[in-house]
Amino acid sequence: MKLFTRYNRINLVANIAVFLVASVAFYFSIRYVLVHQIDEDLQIEEDEITAFVHEHNRLPESFSVSDQVIYFIPVSQPVQRRFSTVTMTDKEDRKKEDYRRLVFGISTTGQNHQAVVSKSLEGTRGLLRSILRVSIVTILVILLVAAVLNRVLLKRLWQPFYASLKAVQNFRPSKNHSLLFPSTNIDEFNAMNETLEAITKRSRLEYLSLKTFSENASHEIQTPIAIVRSKLDLLIQDEALTESQSKTLQSAYNAVEKLSRLNGSLLLLAKIENRQFEDVQRINLKEKLQEKLEDFQELWQDKNIAVQTDLQTAVVNMNTELADILLNNLLSNAVNHNYSGGRIWIALSNDYLRIGNTSTEAKLDEEKLFQRFYKPSAGSTNNGLGLSLIQQIAEASGFRVQYRFQNEQHEFEIRFHPATK
Amino acid sequence: MKILVVEDEKELSQSICDYLSGEQFMCEQAFDYRTALEKISLYDYACVILDITLPGGSGLDLLKDLKKDDKIDGVIIVSAKNAVDDKVNGLKAGADDYLTKPFHLMELGARVDAIIRRKAFDGKNILRFDALQLDLNQKELTVKDKKIELTKKEYELLLYFISNKNKVIAKNAIAIHLWGDNFDIADNYDFIYTHIKNLRKKLLQGGAADYIKSVYGMGYKFSLPA
Repeated sequence: MKLFTRYNRINLVANIAVFLVASVAFYFSIRYVLVHQIDEDLQIEEDEITAFVHEHNRLPESFSVSDQVIYFIPVSQPVQRRFSTVTMTDKEDRKKEDYRRLVFGISTTGQNHQAVVSKSLEGTRGLLRSILRVSIVTILVILLVAAVLNRVLLKRLWQPFYASLKAVQNFRPSKNHSLLFPSTNIDEFNAMNETLEAITKRSRLEYLSLKTFSENASHEIQTPIAIVRSKLDLLIQDEALTESQSKTLQSAYNAVEKLSRLNGSLLLLAKIENRQFEDVQRINLKEKLQEKLEDFQELWQDKNIAVQTDLQTAVVNMNTELADILLNNLLSNAVNHNYSGGRIWIALSNDYLRIGNTSTEAKLDEEKLFQRFYKPSAGSTNNGLGLSLIQQIAEASGFRVQYRFQNEQHEFEIRFHPATK
Repeated sequence: MKILVVEDEKELSQSICDYLSGEQFMCEQAFDYRTALEKISLYDYACVILDITLPGGSGLDLLKDLKKDDKIDGVIIVSAKNAVDDKVNGLKAGADDYLTKPFHLMELGARVDAIIRRKAFDGKNILRFDALQLDLNQKELTVKDKKIELTKKEYELLLYFISNKNKVIAKNAIAIHLWGDNFDIADNYDFIYTHIKNLRKKLLQGGAADYIKSVYGMGYKFSLPA
C-alpha cells in the first residue's frame, strides 16, 4: 500500500469518526436548545393562564390551534407540575405528532384543575432536520476537499522521493552511469539523496576495485598455471616413472587442470561483467546448435544417452563467442549430471531454447542456483561456475534463464525475448 | 630445423624447449625483445613461438619486423590474452596460429608440427608414418593402399598423435584438443578411452601395427612398436 493511500485512509476514517461524534453531539445540543425554547414558551403560557385565573377567578376557555393545545381537567388531587414529550394523533388528518407538554395544577373557587398546555414539536423537528442536512453536506464537502487536496498535494510533495527511488532501482554497480537525483528544496529528501549518492558511489568504487582485483588476480594466475602444466607435461615423458609416481602425477595433473578451468571461468565472468563482449551479431542458433550436437554425439553415445531434438529456426542477436560458451555449458551440464542410459531433450524455437536432462540429483535450490560456487551435492566435481556463467551470458545478451524440476528431470529454458519488465 | 622461443617467463620457455628438443627440432631461446630482434634478423627459423608481452617491447612489433623482412618463418603466438580481438590482431599481423596460456605442450607440439608441415610440404599434403598415410586435404587415412574410414574426431586424434609421436600425451590434453577449452566435461575421461579403443581397432584391422600404448592411466604414447 502506498504511503499516502494509507495516510488518506486513516485520515478519512478519523475525520468521519470525529464528524460523526460531532454531529451526534451537535444534534442533541441543538435539540436541547430548541426544546428548552419551547419549554419557555409553555411557561409563558402557564403564566398567562395563572394570571387570567387570578384576575377572573375562572378558567379560560380551552382552545387548540394548529400547533398549540390547551385544555383543563377537573381533578380532586393537587397536581404535580411537570414537562413531558408525548405523541398525539391529530383529529383531522390522523397524523401522529410529537408534542411538548406542560401539566400544572390550577384552582378556581373550590375546584382543583389540571391544566395541560401542549405545543407541537413539528416545527422544531423541521428546523433540526434542515440544520442537520446543511451540516452533513458541509461535512461531506470538507471530507471530499481534504481527500482530493491530500492526494494532489502529497503526490506533488513526494515527487522527489519517487524520482530518487526510481533512480536507485535502476542503479547497477556494473554500469557506468552516475545517478541523477532530482534537486528539491525539502531538507529530508535532500539528506536522503545525498546519502544515496554517497552509498551508490561507494558501492560502485568497491565493485570496480573488486573487479579489477579479480581480473588481475586470475590473469596473474595464468602464468604459474602455464608453468606448472608445462612441467607436468615434461615429467610424464619420463620413461622411468613407477606406477605410484604416475598416479601421484596424475592427481597433480588433474588438480592443475581444474585450477586452470576455474581460473578461465572466473576470467570469463569478469570479462562478461566488464562488457568485453559488446560485439553483437545475428546468429543462426539452429546451425550453431547442430554443430555442437555433432561434437557431443560421441559423448552421448559413450554414455548411452538418448537425445531427442526439436529444432526450429531461431535467429538471435548475441556475441558469437558467448553463444558458443552458452551452448557448450548447457550441453555439458546436461551430460555431466546425467546417468548412463539417461535422456536429454533439446527444443529450440524463435522464442526459447530448452535443454532438459534426466539425473539422479535432486531439485536444485532455485535461490542459489546461479550463485558462484553453488554446488548442489558435496561430492560434485564441477567448479560451480557453469550455471553462473550461463546466467551471466543470458543477462549480457538480454535473455532470461528459467529452471524447472519435474519428475526427477531438470530443465533449463533460455527465453530470448523476455517480456519487458 | 630451428625453432625460436620468445618468452620472458624462463621456466615456461625452458619447458617448451625441453619438450620440442629432440626429434627434428633445435630450440633457441630469447627472453626479451632486443635479443629476439637480434636473433630474428641474424638467423632463419622454421618456427617462432612468440609471447606478446615482452620486456622491452611487444611481440606484435617483432611479428611486423618478420613480415617486413619477408622471412617465411611460421609464427605461433602464445599469450595470456584470450579475447577474440587479441587473436584477430595477432593473426592479422601475420601470425600463423594463436595459443592461449595455459596450454599443453602437446598442443603446442601439434601446432608447431602443423605449421612446419604447411611450410615444408608446400601443397604436397601427404603425411606418412610407418604404414600410415594421411591425406591432409581430404582428411583420409590409407594403410597399405587401403582406405580406412575414420570419424572426424578419430582423424584429429590420429593427427595429434603423429604430431607428438614418441611422447606421452596426457588424457587431459587430448580432451582439450578434441573438444576445446570451454567444454566443461567432468573429470571423467572414459570417453577418451572409447575413442582410443576405436582408433586402435581400426588401425589394427587395416593391417597396421599397434602404435598406441597406454601409460599407467596417465595418457598414451604413439610410437613404432619396439
